[in-house]
Amino acid sequence: MSHDDIQHHVKTYIKVFIALMFLTLLTVGASYIDFDISPQFRSGAIFVGLAIASFKGYMVASEFMHLNNEKKMIYWVLGLTVFFFIFCLSIPVLWEANLMGDTNFEQSPPKIEGGHH
Amino acid sequence: MSSQDHHEESFISKYIFSQDHKWIGIQYGITSLVFLLFGFTLMMVMRWQLAYPDTVIPFVGWMFEDGMLSPDMYNSFGAMHGTIMIFLGVVPMVVGAFGNYLVPLQIGAPDMAFPKLNMASYWTYLAGGVIMVYSFFVPGGAANSGWTSYPPLADIATTGQTIWLFGMVFLITSSLLGSMNIIVTIVQLRAEGLTWGRLPFFVWAQFVTSFLLVLAFPPLEAAGVLQLMDRLAGTSFFLPSGLVVGGEILNVSGGGSPLLWQHLFWFLAHPEVYVLILPAMGVVAEIIANNTRKPLWGYKSIVFASVWLGFMSFIVWAHHMFITGMGQGMSLFFQTTTMIISIPSVIILSALFITLWGGKIRFNTPMLFALAFLPMFGIGGLTGLPLGLAPTDIHLHDTYYVIGHFHYVVAPGTIFAIFAGIYFWFPKITGKKLNEGLGKIHFFFSLIFINGVFMPMFIQGLAGVSRRLADGGVSYAHAAGVLEWNEFMSMSAWLLGVAQIPFIINFFMTIFKKVDGVADPNPWQSTTIEWTDTTSPPLGHGNFEIAPVVHRGPYEYSVEGASEDFIPQTKK
Amino acid sequence: MQIPYNEELRPDTGLYNAKLGIWIFLASEIMLFGGLFSAYIMLRVGAPVWPPLGTAQLNIPMATFNTVVLITSSVTMVMAWASLKMNNFGKFKMYMGLTLLFSAMFLVVKYFEYSAKLSHGFTPAHDTFLAIYYTMTGLHVIHIIAGMIVNGYLWMPGSKMWKSNPERFTNRIEVAGLYWHFVDLVWIFLFPSLYLL
Ligand code: HEM
Ligand SMILES: [Cu+2]
Repeated sequence: MSHDDIQHHVKTYIKVFIALMFLTLLTVGASYIDFDISPQFRSGAIFVGLAIASFKGYMVASEFMHLNNEKKMIYWVLGLTVFFFIFCLSIPVLWEANLMGDTNFEQSPPKIEGGHH
Repeated sequence: MSSQDHHEESFISKYIFSQDHKWIGIQYGITSLVFLLFGFTLMMVMRWQLAYPDTVIPFVGWMFEDGMLSPDMYNSFGAMHGTIMIFLGVVPMVVGAFGNYLVPLQIGAPDMAFPKLNMASYWTYLAGGVIMVYSFFVPGGAANSGWTSYPPLADIATTGQTIWLFGMVFLITSSLLGSMNIIVTIVQLRAEGLTWGRLPFFVWAQFVTSFLLVLAFPPLEAAGVLQLMDRLAGTSFFLPSGLVVGGEILNVSGGGSPLLWQHLFWFLAHPEVYVLILPAMGVVAEIIANNTRKPLWGYKSIVFASVWLGFMSFIVWAHHMFITGMGQGMSLFFQTTTMIISIPSVIILSALFITLWGGKIRFNTPMLFALAFLPMFGIGGLTGLPLGLAPTDIHLHDTYYVIGHFHYVVAPGTIFAIFAGIYFWFPKITGKKLNEGLGKIHFFFSLIFINGVFMPMFIQGLAGVSRRLADGGVSYAHAAGVLEWNEFMSMSAWLLGVAQIPFIINFFMTIFKKVDGVADPNPWQSTTIEWTDTTSPPLGHGNFEIAPVVHRGPYEYSVEGASEDFIPQTKK
Repeated sequence: MQIPYNEELRPDTGLYNAKLGIWIFLASEIMLFGGLFSAYIMLRVGAPVWPPLGTAQLNIPMATFNTVVLITSSVTMVMAWASLKMNNFGKFKMYMGLTLLFSAMFLVVKYFEYSAKLSHGFTPAHDTFLAIYYTMTGLHVIHIIAGMIVNGYLWMPGSKMWKSNPERFTNRIEVAGLYWHFVDLVWIFLFPSLYLL
């Protein structure tokens, strides 16, 4: 990497720094806003909060950690990791959702074919 | 070569805190053999209790109150048997010892990529081992909630469990250091010309295994931290609200879930079983190719199958949890992935069988162990299928059938592969072959008795006998018909122990045997770099005089028109 | 024994050893925190209300301040590396020193946060929210301390290598930086998950 390249990098770092600061304030601000679709469903806020965090994370990873320009081997390793990571994360949610379905099924009285109502 | 190569090293830096991968491999190998023997001894003691409940145990009875194992002690021994065998015996042996010693040699590298980390990995392993052994002496004895440490039981168990968790943190760290090192070494330090398609299958197996360790162990580390918090800081990660212990509601906040542990544990522990088997397959493949004097049949498909196996092993874990009341959708998903994962195992096994076809087989001791591996692993794998399907697993779960299943894969499977490897690479390390006569005695008796131990477990399990019973099932009516097998199995286990004596004699006899002249560097007429390009064994500091350059694949045996029946990888 | 590719890049992979090593280590770290986040999600979806009734209210201003501090330390870290690339050892010393200063600041704020909660009886045993809060942030703090030890070493005694082997020293700073940015990245997710949502 040449001297000029680095100089260029440094400019980007400063820009990313400013963007990260702004997003930090934004996410704190956003947490006071009510994004919720209904009182039981707080997922609106979660979605907004995680979206901002993901964007910040993306900037750190791509600029500070130079992932926007890495070697193939490292993309392979990380791709694999992210896949299992997501799997590990999503399973509790799916698990619970699946259980909820089953309990509802048990609680509702069995339908009897050909019965007269 | 740099001048450092020739300067004298102190005894300590050469033999104790060595950074040479070969010596670290040997350290790993010896330590894990000791732990394997220790774990096996625990089981031989337990088997007395199962065969002859309520009688005093011979030889070691004096160590226990009344000369017998109390049910708590029995549980301790069982939990520690599993932990020691898996985390202190087999994994350090197949990855720490075989991986460390052979990977750099087989890829033509001067050492591991990070020699200091390599040393640290061995010493953290040893520290973990010492902690585990120490736990036998704390009040309440060693951990007694099974090697799986399921809460809530493990959360409220005696101090031994805390020590177990600390020990595991060390063992996990050690595995992480070791496997990172192996991956970087394979990617970065392959010799010139050694492309991915020319790697010996053993190296591929180590590569995939290391990825499993790197990615699967951390969630268990996380779970271990949570369990430590539960035990030491009084949190309730794994404790549901209103849990009743000994007739009283436990005084904790509750709100946790015991299933959380099971998820995180099996997220590791299923990939872990492939950590146990993949390197074993690698060892067996090398030995079979060498002793049939034929190329491995379907090299590409075996490599692909092992990568596929590694990948799939991350998404089958809940097949250990079919009876936890999971939903239909989840159950369907995990049954399907489990059936899919058996395909690559079958591919590998079939390819190895087909390799035998038409070969000029040399029946030496390593080959005998490798050959026995094939049907034994086959039995283990096939008996896994009914466990992978929920309708059958609901009956078989937690019975001796499961014990039979996984022991067929790890005992006559992996342990036999380990023996095959020791017999095969012993001349690499010492320059001397182990005695063939004693080796064959060791092999045939081991084969007979090991089946005597594990085959009846299927019978008992199908009859519904539960695992982890301190009396072997005497108190259950449904077990009455199959209890007579207990004595048979115990006898077989002790005889299996006796059958290891020829090995131990052979081992020391050969090490201390004096031979004249220079050792044959390639006694098995092998093609791979560790035999053909190193200086004569025993190897000193440094692996190669000149960095090897590779010109061909790993298994060029019996090539037509060649002057010998093998062509070294490095031959032009 | 000379291990190749410690400073120079291996032609076919384009990497030096430690670069691949640290990424594999970070991959395992991702899975470690993955396990914890998975636990967090499971506790959360399993709870009737979240955060549980009667739990502590975490201090958002303090955590926001800490987020700013940690991100800044990440920037100074990357500037330390860039300074070496530009052959400016003096600037490296300054930026690395700042990184350490900000890390220490983070720990001090965290200390006040913890002690404020603990003094009101909000221990990890209080409820599952506090349990996961202490565990995750505690593990993160351990990572900060580990990073400070490494950075401190590279700042003072380790920086001698700049004279003997500048190439390799720059690599070391890059590798330490990758770890440090990862620690920052984890916090970027911990902050909303524990404090805001
Ligand atoms: C090839 C196909 C395989 C299938 C379909 C399979 C399936 C299963 C299933 C479903 C269980 C859970 C049974 C239960 O608890 O009810 C199980 C247990 C187990 N398997 Fe396998 N398995 C296979 C191969 C292996 C291999 C290769 C190993 C090790 C090298 C292994 C080691 C184990 C162990 C250690 C357990 C018991 C864990 C415990 O509960 O303590 N299995 N297997
Ligand atoms: Cu499994």
